[in-house]
Amino acid sequence: MPFHLFADKLVDLDRAASAVVDGALVALGGGLSARLPMALVRELIRAGRRDLHVLGSAHGIDVDLLVAAGAVAICEESYVGFEQDFGLAPAYRRAAETGAVEVRESCCATILAQLRAAEFGLPMLPVRGVKGSDIRRLHPEYAEVTCPFTGETLVVVPPLRPDVALIHAPLGDRHGNLHLDQPYVLDERFAAASRQVVATVERIASTEDVVAAGVTIPAHLVTAVAEVPYGAHPTSCYPGYAYDRPHLAEYVRAATAGGGELAGYIDRYVTGTATEEAYRKVVGEERLAALGQWSASTQAWKDLFR
Amino acid sequence: MTFSIDEWFVVVLARTIRDREVVFHGFGSPCAQVAMHVARHTHARDMLLVEGATYAVNPDPPFIPPTGNDLALQQGAPYRMRFEEFFDAAARGDVDRMFLSGGQIDGYGNTNVTAIGPLDRPKVKLGGGGGGCNLAASIGSLTLWTARHRSGRTLVERCDFVTDMGHRTAVGTRAELGFTGGGPQWLVTELGVFDYDADGYARLCQLFPDVGLDEVRAATGFPLRVASDLRPINPPSPAEIAALRTVDPLGVRRSEFSPQELRRTFTHGTSAACAC
Repeated sequence: MPFHLFADKLVDLDRAASAVVDGALVALGGGLSARLPMALVRELIRAGRRDLHVLGSAHGIDVDLLVAAGAVAICEESYVGFEQDFGLAPAYRRAAETGAVEVRESCCATILAQLRAAEFGLPMLPVRGVKGSDIRRLHPEYAEVTCPFTGETLVVVPPLRPDVALIHAPLGDRHGNLHLDQPYVLDERFAAASRQVVATVERIASTEDVVAAGVTIPAHLVTAVAEVPYGAHPTSCYPGYAYDRPHLAEYVRAATAGGGELAGYIDRYVTGTATEEAYRKVVGEERLAALGQWSASTQAWKDLFR
Repeated sequence: MTFSIDEWFVVVLARTIRDREVVFHGFGSPCAQVAMHVARHTHARDMLLVEGATYAVNPDPPFIPPTGNDLALQQGAPYRMRFEEFFDAAARGDVDRMFLSGGQIDGYGNTNVTAIGPLDRPKVKLGGGGGGCNLAASIGSLTLWTARHRSGRTLVERCDFVTDMGHRTAVGTRAELGFTGGGPQWLVTELGVFDYDADGYARLCQLFPDVGLDEVRAATGFPLRVASDLRPINPPSPAEIAALRTVDPLGVRRSEFSPQELRRTFTHGTSAACAC
């Protein structure tokens, strides 16, 4: 939200993740199984963060893994799951059913209105829907107003100002200029509405190169940037790599089993790997390189998803 | 030509789209997603197809991937909307149709994708509604669908939680709430097709030929209203089947059905040639 005018924002991943403190309202960039800020998610778990209030539109393994690690107190997402592909999010589901996390489920369009209210510096914005929905029961902060111009009664929602937005991008420079490919999902809105923006990028490039690719999120909105190749894995970050469907299947299996199997996944891929370099070794450089083969042919692309 | 229930089902969904409509599907909805591409390649060539998680306009994907947010779903698209660009269009009434499903669907077309059981301690926490609770208010018409009607748990007397409003809830009707969209127009299941009567209540109007009225009644949790001219569903044309198989070579649509249901196959020229 405030502009950040210092010149050099390039830091290591652990330093970048340290912007998130226990209890913070954290906006998660990307959506479903694409461009989720997974390296930052893993780093928050390594650092033992607790009581986070996570915010986002439709998400998957990022939220589920944070919940599995006991890092989340409040979940304000429009969806958490693995679509028809692998179904419900196992750890999130379990935590919601036992009351271990507060489910503050929301709607994409409502979250958008709340971020815009923050961007506009306004105390509220109206939305057209929500009224007939029980989603409203999850949000005592919503209210109603009568429009002074038309007399309509509309639901109004307050601003959402995340403490930190976590965003993964294919390309950025050390000043924090970020290039993203579409869909941006809510990333631009998160960047403008949040107090801090922490980014990971596949590659740090010169400002000229980032400008040539197109700046999606400008440096003055960004507080820290770290270079983390495969920082969205096991989700996709095109044009670099497709999502790692077998890895997601492995995670969902472990998370569904819970207990020792889930702890085993977290130990193997998160707490047992001190750095993302170690994570990439455990996943396997060959496997990671194979995810980049989507562009070789339609057949190769399809084969990744079988 | 032999075809299976998932193929026929998707074609029935596709036929709820009219030409020159602006149409959207939610994510995690492979049947609806495939149906939109089938419609665009058959009877609705001038529709505006907006992909559910990439917001790409009229793409020609080389195949439908198992996740809704994949680059394959942007291939060939002349334009990709921003997230807010799509939601703004829907809020002001420029989107004509959306496909919407639910773990529970009641007679008024209210849908639940949030939780089964009491809200404070749900029996099953479902994934959540995405953008539905605003989109369902202002998009022109809704095509509801489920491939799990036969389970007996999907079409219910009353949703445990209303995520997206249909024609009426305890709070009031759409008109009373100032909703600008028309609400549910069709409900397509693996057993048959419902439209909505003057009360905004689901009314069975078409049946798959291998399904009996008693089966539908047994699987439906709300009182079954039946159209006086109940008739069998028209089989898919060879062109529709061909379009579908080209669009969805990975068969992602099949992930919505139970394995038993997928055994239902049909052959052109026979009214109910179930091979199961």
